[in-house]
Amino acid sequence: MIKRLLALDGVLAVCRFRDDGSLVESYGGLATEKLAALSDVAHDYRRMVQGQADQVSMFTGMRGWTPPRGWVVRGEALTLCGVGNLVCVLDNGEGSFNDILTEMLEVSHW
Amino acid sequence: MSIVAELLAKPGVLAAGEYAFRGDRFSYKGQMSEEHARMASIMCRATTMGVCMQGRMAEITRSGTGLHKPRGWLLHGADYSICVVANVFCFMRNDKGTVNAVVKHMRQALADVNMDLV
Amino acid sequence: MAKLDSLLALPGALAAFEFRASGELLTQEIAPNAPLDPEILDLVCHMCAANMSICNMQTRGWEAITGMKGFFPVREFTLVGFDWSVVVSSAQREAQRAAGEPTLAPYQGVVLANPKADYEATFAALDK
Repeated sequence: MIKRLLALDGVLAVCRFRDDGSLVESYGGLATEKLAALSDVAHDYRRMVQGQADQVSMFTGMRGWTPPRGWVVRGEALTLCGVGNLVCVLDNGEGSFNDILTEMLEVSHW
Repeated sequence: MSIVAELLAKPGVLAAGEYAFRGDRFSYKGQMSEEHARMASIMCRATTMGVCMQGRMAEITRSGTGLHKPRGWLLHGADYSICVVANVFCFMRNDKGTVNAVVKHMRQALADVNMDLV
Repeated sequence: MAKLDSLLALPGALAAFEFRASGELLTQEIAPNAPLDPEILDLVCHMCAANMSICNMQTRGWEAITGMKGFFPVREFTLVGFDWSVVVSSAQREAQRAAGEPTLAPYQGVVLANPKADYEATFAALDK
């Protein structure tokens, strides 16, 4: 079902991974080994962001940081966006980031 | 004698403890409240996880950098230092000889801990 | 501020370098036969810049909550690798910041072979 994310303008690839980081499924115009590496990196990023959010929450005493919903790294031409166990590679020049994020938030619950 | 007790016996060491690589469990001994030790274990776990994952990412960028599977890290402030190797943390004063002795002891005693568990 | 060649004279030193807060490697000196090159050092610098920021965030929070002062600002962050360690320092920058100087020195760092590493001597050299 995550394949439907590929139908959105600007989404170049999408992966879903297990809680141990192993790749479950992936779609898009990247080589298989790159998608597996992307899945590894996204899994690591997810855990790091969780760790940082726990600390921000602990130090600020402010509710609402945890559990973090996702992370975004925006490069010059491409963006990586992780939500739950999903990660997408996005083309900065196409589509609406807001729409993509909204769709990822929905799809990540399936 | 456990690694935590051994560290605590060293001059300048304030507190030492262990945390689970995954989950919230921790234990400690020394001059620190339970709540502060809990915070310390959260901070140390997060940074250890960070350096290990950064090492993996560096390995993807270029293999053989030596950044892969780090043993631990050390933070040096004006008066105090924190040393973490594997899943053990140690808070210490910056007394002469303390940091070197603690790092050496931790590296040797925890050399066999599998960092793949991080 | 320590000169790179004097840092390279520290026990076990394999390389000494300077980098921006962004992680960009500026200058380096590498000991003969050391298994390092500028590309590896650039990766190391980016990693250490990230961890220096993380540790400053943590020590700020720790001091605010516990009242236990003496960690922040972090002077040195050290990554203890399998065969070698890297020590990076912002001590000079923090001294300049405290003095209100308009421009700050770059970070400095040293890569050490673990068997010979003298962490305290390295901290002292980087603090000078």
